[in-house]
Amino acid sequence: MLDFAPNEEQEEVRNLARSVAVEQLRPQGRDAERKGDISPALMQTLAQTGLTTPFPEELGGSGAIDAMTYTLIAEELGFGDGALAMNIIGSLMGPVTVLVAGDEHQQQEYITPFCDKQDGYERRGSLAFAERTGGYTLAEVNATAREDGDRYILNGTKRDVIHGWESSTRVVLLRKEGTTGSDGLCALIIPARGEGLQISADVQKLGLVAAPSASYSFTDVAVPASSMLGVAGNSGVIRAATLYNILRGGVACGMARAALEYAMDYAKERVAFGRPIASYQGIAFMVAEMAMKLDAARLLLWRAATSWDRDVEIDTLVQEAEAAQHQAIEIAKSATIDAVQILGGAGFLQDHPAEMWMRNAAAME
Amino acid sequence: MIDFTLSKSQQAARDYAHQVALEEMRPISLECDRTEYIPESFFWNMQRRFWAGAAGQARKQAQEENEKQDNVLSILSQEEMAWGDAALSTAIPGPGLAAPPILSQGTPEQQMRFLGPYMDGQLHWGALALTEPGIGSDVAGMSTTAILDGDEWVINGHKHYITNGARADLIVTFATIDKSLGREGIRPFVVPKGTPGLIAGRIEEKMGLRASQTAELIFENCRIPKDNLLSGRESSKKAGFKAAMGTLDATRPMVGALAVGIARAAYETTREWVCEELPKGSPPQKRREIEDELEELRQKIEMARFLVWRASWMADRRIPNSKEASMSKAYAGELVMKMTAAAVRITAPGENSKRKQFIAKWFRDAKVFDIFEGTAQIQRLVIARRLFPEVDIP
Repeated sequence: MLDFAPNEEQEEVRNLARSVAVEQLRPQGRDAERKGDISPALMQTLAQTGLTTPFPEELGGSGAIDAMTYTLIAEELGFGDGALAMNIIGSLMGPVTVLVAGDEHQQQEYITPFCDKQDGYERRGSLAFAERTGGYTLAEVNATAREDGDRYILNGTKRDVIHGWESSTRVVLLRKEGTTGSDGLCALIIPARGEGLQISADVQKLGLVAAPSASYSFTDVAVPASSMLGVAGNSGVIRAATLYNILRGGVACGMARAALEYAMDYAKERVAFGRPIASYQGIAFMVAEMAMKLDAARLLLWRAATSWDRDVEIDTLVQEAEAAQHQAIEIAKSATIDAVQILGGAGFLQDHPAEMWMRNAAAME
Repeated sequence: MIDFTLSKSQQAARDYAHQVALEEMRPISLECDRTEYIPESFFWNMQRRFWAGAAGQARKQAQEENEKQDNVLSILSQEEMAWGDAALSTAIPGPGLAAPPILSQGTPEQQMRFLGPYMDGQLHWGALALTEPGIGSDVAGMSTTAILDGDEWVINGHKHYITNGARADLIVTFATIDKSLGREGIRPFVVPKGTPGLIAGRIEEKMGLRASQTAELIFENCRIPKDNLLSGRESSKKAGFKAAMGTLDATRPMVGALAVGIARAAYETTREWVCEELPKGSPPQKRREIEDELEELRQKIEMARFLVWRASWMADRRIPNSKEASMSKAYAGELVMKMTAAAVRITAPGENSKRKQFIAKWFRDAKVFDIFEGTAQIQRLVIARRLFPEVDIP
């Protein structure tokens, strides 16, 4: 039955995420951009909240969280700071993919270290999705894995892999050679070095600078068969990829909301011709439009997240998740651009976060 | 708990309405549009379908589900009806737009008195008279007056753009009891058909929704009983204005649902056209472009639908929803124009097929969804005022 209200538990987790976002992420956003990464202290704080270890307790995690709830968390983190949110979620997607697509042994091996009470927070994961020839949709995954005895031979490229340089659970989305669409998708764990493997850190990025990333190039890279998460072509791989779509959408909605609220606060304060600029329809209508489109995109995203939790038919899920991601990024881009516009000259300065958010949103593509 | 799946009764209401749209509306849609005339048989078929059969079943099931969901059930079937034919959907017998103000502002006695007769199995309509030649959303400037004279209200004024105005058995009319009070002087009155002094003026000729009756009403010393004033729920000064605005909070998502229905019809028909009628010589690149554009529009149709669902869900929960109602209407109104315009453009090549005739009609029907129940600009004003409660946005 139709319902648009989060339940009590979801509200609770959302409030927790919101307070971390407002008290920690937002104030540290600019500094993290300068340093090009999240601070270890912030990761430690986050680890204490349990938000970064949403894994079953038997693996040492703080308890599994459904996709809908994590989508709410992603929006709050994105509201705090989009780049830090992507840093956190980019890392999380490594072990999450192992959880969704891997077998029990792989889960034990790769997830448990992330949950270590002592140094788990220092660990990074990554999920390589987009390639130099496309974006974050499964149809655009072209990098291949070819079975060759007890190993796989990998070919292709990956771009903007958050933590792709330093992560220690480096998951790559590929397809079995000769397949198209969502059939034959598989996820493999790759090492830091190998013949034919080139990993280069991304520099001089437009946005999401606080989420350090790398690009990969594979030329006949051989990895052992045991690197394959679960059985090649298992639907968990697709579910992991769609979850990344959904959480990226959540961060994008948070980015849009941050821009919207920041611009609103500014428009209430800034006086022109004797009146706050919010009282002019030229500004007020722009804000109304931003709010309306954000709500629309968020609802589309929520539907995709609930579909993930209901385990709907896989092609439907892919379509819903990719559409939701697309619409969320569209509003993130337009709302952040509009926020800079509403701030006027001030929007162009680095005194305000608006320009950084605008670059971050554009870097989500 | 966030949930986008429909319950049994919700699904049943939707399926039933779809069946009706398919069987009763689509077959006569183009003809009714051309002639601006609806055959009597349509009204009786609707009467029979909606007061018996599966619609009754859905209502019973909804009661068993024990959730208040009148608004949600209504918008679910509105979308399907508009998918069939939006103009015909406005002509379905029933109290129509007169119902929301009676339900929200009428006493239980008034609700029985005014809405009871609609259950007698005969053909009845209702109408809502708010707009005047000089005023639309700026209701504070209303010039229709109501003056208490003994046991009767005397109504004088001129209303127009009234859906079903000339066939309505009762008309909820907004009038001012004291012009100096501005919007706070506005009250809703129930004027029954046949009241001396109630005159149906011209029936408008329109670009779209041509089968829908849009009438002018003139009130000349129109006398109605004192207790036809709807002010049962609230006695505060603002009650009348609130009733007018409250009505819009309920009807805007319905208008949004109609817009979604037309947009979906245009989307589906354009897709069919692309599959079956796209001229053979079209380059593959062209097909790709069309597919991409249609996919983008499909996503927007879904977003519009969810905005409508949310606003109606809030109405059922009695959560204030002015902002959300305006969002749903503004978004859907703009979308249906975009969708139908794209449909006209995409299907421009090729024969003048039945599909193209439908698309042309929907394009003409669409524009008014950006206009009635508050224009796109008024919706943005409502949203902005809710977002900036502390700022005076003139």
